[in-house]
Amino acid sequence: MFSRHLRAALCGAVATLTSVGPTLSHEIVGNRFFPATLTIDDPGVNDELAFPTVSISKTGDDPSFKQLDVSAEFAKRITDDFAISVAPTWSRLYAPGGPTMNGASGFQNLATLFKYRLFKSPEHEFVMSAGLEIEWGRTGAQGVGAEPFNVYTPTLFFGKGFGDLPTSLNWARPFAITGQVGYSIPASKQTVTFDPDTGDVDTEFNPRVLVWGGSLQYSMPYLKSAVVDLGLPDFFNHLIPIVEASLQTPVSNTFSSGTVTTGTINPGILWVGRYFQVGVEALIPVNRQSGTSVGVIAQLHLYLDDIFPNSIGRPLFGNSITSGRPKFGN
Amino acid sequence: MKSMHSFSFSALSLLLSVAPALAHAMLDHASPRVGNTVAAAPKEVMLWFTQKLEPAFSSVEVRNEQGVVMNAGKATVVGGTQLRVSVKTLPPGTYRVIWRVLSVDTHRTQGDFTFRVGQ
Repeated sequence: MFSRHLRAALCGAVATLTSVGPTLSHEIVGNRFFPATLTIDDPGVNDELAFPTVSISKTGDDPSFKQLDVSAEFAKRITDDFAISVAPTWSRLYAPGGPTMNGASGFQNLATLFKYRLFKSPEHEFVMSAGLEIEWGRTGAQGVGAEPFNVYTPTLFFGKGFGDLPTSLNWARPFAITGQVGYSIPASKQTVTFDPDTGDVDTEFNPRVLVWGGSLQYSMPYLKSAVVDLGLPDFFNHLIPIVEASLQTPVSNTFSSGTVTTGTINPGILWVGRYFQVGVEALIPVNRQSGTSVGVIAQLHLYLDDIFPNSIGRPLFGNSITSGRPKFGN
Repeated sequence: MKSMHSFSFSALSLLLSVAPALAHAMLDHASPRVGNTVAAAPKEVMLWFTQKLEPAFSSVEVRNEQGVVMNAGKATVVGGTQLRVSVKTLPPGTYRVIWRVLSVDTHRTQGDFTFRVGQ
């Protein structure tokens, strides 16, 4: 009985899982350091390891249940502008009936992201990348919602710092935004399941989903090194207050899913050091379908290009110098 | 699961303990201080970075409000992490410091900031 509830709940759960999955990439563009964000990806291409990323939330299903995700992501540059990342996620779904029921646990489908930096302008603190994420079907546990088919998500990423504003707007120059827009395409249009207990045949239509989001961040490191050194204690000069938004909107084949946008708004804070960053954010559901209470996500993120600059932290091929100059820009 | 935790902490400890003292060279602080006003014109502009620099590929320019370069000599790297340049006599006004450096682990970074001379 519980398994039927769980299966029905997984429609929403999968969207949530996708939204709070591990994300990577820090990037330096001119004066601007774009940190790795926790719930969306950002425009950088680099050698990095995010481990662990831990999130706890309550899904928007009826009945709602608690979900714990523990994930990792390893990104490796093949060339200076092209990287491949691999991201396993282990999930624990707690049964809505409490400790007397079993729930489910296991790995989600393995995700791989191929990402290429298209454009970089240090003068305007602007960077843009394109990527293709593939969730490999049948590589995870069906009990936690891993699908038996691949899902392809081509995505555009961008980042823009406001350091090129006039000095009369100095207060705004440490701000930056990042964003992503992707289109998630399941390899199978529908999934048919047979319940041996009742003999029911259930057809679930797998929607194509617009996956979008962004972040607004205020960089204290930028304030100190490029705008005004206020003489603050060093700890504060490493902080980046941030608000992320991670959203999904089903746009076609929506007979089962509906077209309601789901996702979370995630205020939090990052502390960035020379070799790693740590971050914690709240996961605030945008509506009832996105969750029934505020969750939390935390991450330790290692900059492999800085920790191991002469081995695994450099591209496999091409120029070993990480250039701050634009590739195609002025 | 317990052994996985042990492995995680061991791997993390290893990563951090064997990390060489190398990374992107970011501006730590400067003299005159970034965005600040100094009453007396400085004879030198000094920048301290978070990592050691390659002197041959590290430079700094001080420009006035008209964009004229006010350097009085060639920029030099001192002590590995400090970049300094002598400047001409700076009348009261706003000056932009533009730096480009290469850290010894070959990461290139660049940036700029301003300071003011006078009231």
